[in-house]
Amino acid sequence: MSNTAIDIVDILQTKFKDTLVQVQPAQLGKATVLANSSTHRDVLKVLLEADERTAVSAITGIDLITTIGVFYHIRTAKGGIITIKTEVPKEGPRINTISDLIPGAAFHEMEVADLLGVVFVGNPSSGRLVLPDNWPDDVFPLRKDAKLDNLKMKDAPSGETEPSGETNTVKIIVGPQHPALLEPEKFALKVEGEIVKGVEPRIGYVHRGVEKAAESRTYLQDVYLVERICGICNTCHASCFVETVEKILKTEVPPRAKYIRTILLELNRLHSHLLTLGHAGLEIGYETLFQYFWRDREPIMDITEIITGNRVISSSLTVGGVRSDINETDIPKIKTMLANLRKRLPFYKRIYADEPSLKMRMRNVGTLKRADALALCIVGPTARGSGVDIDVRKDEPYEAYGEIPFKVITRDSGDTWARMNVRMDEVEESINIIEYALDHLPTGPFRVRAPRVVPAGEAVNRVEAPRGELFYYVKSNGTAYPERVKVRTPTFANIPAFLKTAIGGNIADVPANFVSLDPCFSCTDR
Amino acid sequence: MALDAFFFIRVLIFPGFTFILFFTMFCDWVERKIEARMQNRVGPAVAGPHGILQPLADFMKLLTKEDIVPLDAKQILFKVSPIISFSVLVFAMSLLPIDGSSAIPDASFSGDLIFIMALVTIANFLLFLSGWASSNPYGSIGATRVLTQFLGYDIPLMILALGPAFLAGSLSIAGIAAGQFLPFIVLAPWAFVLFVITLQAELEKDPFDIPHADSEVVGGLETEYCGGKLAFLHLTRDVQIVFGAALVVELFLGGPYGPVFFGVPEFWYTLWFVLKLLVVVVISEYLTTLFARLRIDQVVTANWKILLPLSLAAFALTVALGVWVYPMLV
Repeated sequence: MSNTAIDIVDILQTKFKDTLVQVQPAQLGKATVLANSSTHRDVLKVLLEADERTAVSAITGIDLITTIGVFYHIRTAKGGIITIKTEVPKEGPRINTISDLIPGAAFHEMEVADLLGVVFVGNPSSGRLVLPDNWPDDVFPLRKDAKLDNLKMKDAPSGETEPSGETNTVKIIVGPQHPALLEPEKFALKVEGEIVKGVEPRIGYVHRGVEKAAESRTYLQDVYLVERICGICNTCHASCFVETVEKILKTEVPPRAKYIRTILLELNRLHSHLLTLGHAGLEIGYETLFQYFWRDREPIMDITEIITGNRVISSSLTVGGVRSDINETDIPKIKTMLANLRKRLPFYKRIYADEPSLKMRMRNVGTLKRADALALCIVGPTARGSGVDIDVRKDEPYEAYGEIPFKVITRDSGDTWARMNVRMDEVEESINIIEYALDHLPTGPFRVRAPRVVPAGEAVNRVEAPRGELFYYVKSNGTAYPERVKVRTPTFANIPAFLKTAIGGNIADVPANFVSLDPCFSCTDR
Repeated sequence: MALDAFFFIRVLIFPGFTFILFFTMFCDWVERKIEARMQNRVGPAVAGPHGILQPLADFMKLLTKEDIVPLDAKQILFKVSPIISFSVLVFAMSLLPIDGSSAIPDASFSGDLIFIMALVTIANFLLFLSGWASSNPYGSIGATRVLTQFLGYDIPLMILALGPAFLAGSLSIAGIAAGQFLPFIVLAPWAFVLFVITLQAELEKDPFDIPHADSEVVGGLETEYCGGKLAFLHLTRDVQIVFGAALVVELFLGGPYGPVFFGVPEFWYTLWFVLKLLVVVVISEYLTTLFARLRIDQVVTANWKILLPLSLAAFALTVALGVWVYPMLV
């Protein structure tokens, strides 16, 4: 694993030996590469040639007071993150797009363009992604000097424009309010008959500005702030954030805390997977399946309550460990509840594997080919359903995952059915992990005291959330308040998969296809 | 027929309008309760004992709600089609022999099977119009789906209904019900199974409930409806389900005639009819809970490529057995 990573850094170092590009190993992940607004493409080309599984994890835009930094966090197959740092001037910030090299970057670039005003020359999409249509043109919320009081809103464009020239096309708007979407986002589908010809996404309807809000709160407060980004994978957010801060602090977390965190993370995964497996049933009109799954999800929330005192948002993690220990007397109870769930699994597995009407709705629906999954930088079960075996828990083990045996589940067919079956099998793996962790729970303290003031520095971190790789970048300026917190949620990375697979499909397949990505717009709109 | 008190009691109270209305609501409750129990839920539990009054409560609640008509809607069509559709279905119901004869006295004539099926098609078409008139994209798509589905499934349904008609040697429903020396479910089980499946599609129930796919078309043709008109749309759907079940009872389960029979014949006829109908409702609801919803193209394919040839084959088999084998049994 580490061999490939060192190789890549070596390749970079030899390739860019006598150029302006500087390679700094072991900074911000595996390495940091200092480039400028055009050489960054050369660096990316080298990385892409070295491994087909190279993908963009995130693009961070950051206001560096005199300039604007655009940091490309590139995920190399198994070797962690390589960050390409570029800077553009504050007046007229322009940088060449990388979306022609790797199409998945386009979506990330649009967000940076919206929030920091960087123009990505050559990005195929125009128009806004996150900000509302009537947002003023010259205010960029994530810049430090953005004046957000007394905003003068533009005149909003008048409603939806019908596609012109194409007489057979009907525009069907899915969202912001739609029964198939539990949260508000908009997808304008261009439909010919029952066939989808195009999709225009528009997100940001519940954008809460968490990244900006985190800058004005202390690190300790931020733990609870980022936890509220998502109701379902809340522990993943908290865990990813505290790990990033611990990396800057160089705090070593006691082993017991690592195990407890692992248990909580896997409970999150169980909760999320059972929820979405049931919700998929609802989307294809299989209400019975939905009711059954949600009933069996209840004990998972009860276990979370036994451990942390809270059913949903556990608020149990803190910098340096966890806030409460697992009571030894509760462990047999938890194990019994997990064993009961395990007994139900063969039934569900049979339904997802064999039920004819379910297969008719899910087989060959929204097929995402492996090459597309790689090019679009897809993460999590969606990528694994297309045969891409990425899983942060294995690729870059965090917490106790390095010590716990488990399998990475993949399927090759890449359709909705494959994605749901990946989740189905991961439920069992999660139960295994929790049981193993409970059996091998180390003794000792469950937290160490961490200082409130974080020394200047920066770090990136990844966590395998239920929906895929969750990415955090934190920059500290030596105070108790972070300088920048960047969150890239798995759903944000996976929306391009929907845009790709919906086209050419039946309009009736849109909900099933969409739910198979397990979309969480609360995550997407931080 | 004489327009006397007897006529009005039969048409308006029993076994006519009032009976059909409350029986429909009862069936709705049975459906909801069964579905809930199968899905590990409680189901209606508040209004009345075991929530038996819940359908009535829902109906009353909707009647008290504000009734909004969208400005863009085709006003008259939008307003009247739910009520006419409901009326047509209740009229069709009152032509069926419920307590031995139909609610409208002496309404039975030879060929009323065709007439009743035509009435149901008209009721469905009115439902389509109600969605179409609402000038809402979801309403229009939902309405078009209703049309696509019932136009397709009417054909196999009709063909399958002809099997019992042939066996009984009559095209009148009363004649078919009375002509079952053995219930036709025993003589032609293949036709019964196909009929129930086709009916599931006619009634837009899972796995064929695409006009009601809320994740795709929101409320379907009901999207723009609220208040009293929505109440009638819901009621229409419930009557449709009861009517479909009643058709199965008349064609395959021996109608209102049963093995136990003494005293007041009307009582026993009604009892058998109701019991048989509930069995059909339970079967239909069982299928609904068991399956996921198919896609519209799959539903249409299933109709033309599978159900139509199968129903023709079933009819041929029924006729063949009816001509050469069954006469030997009698």
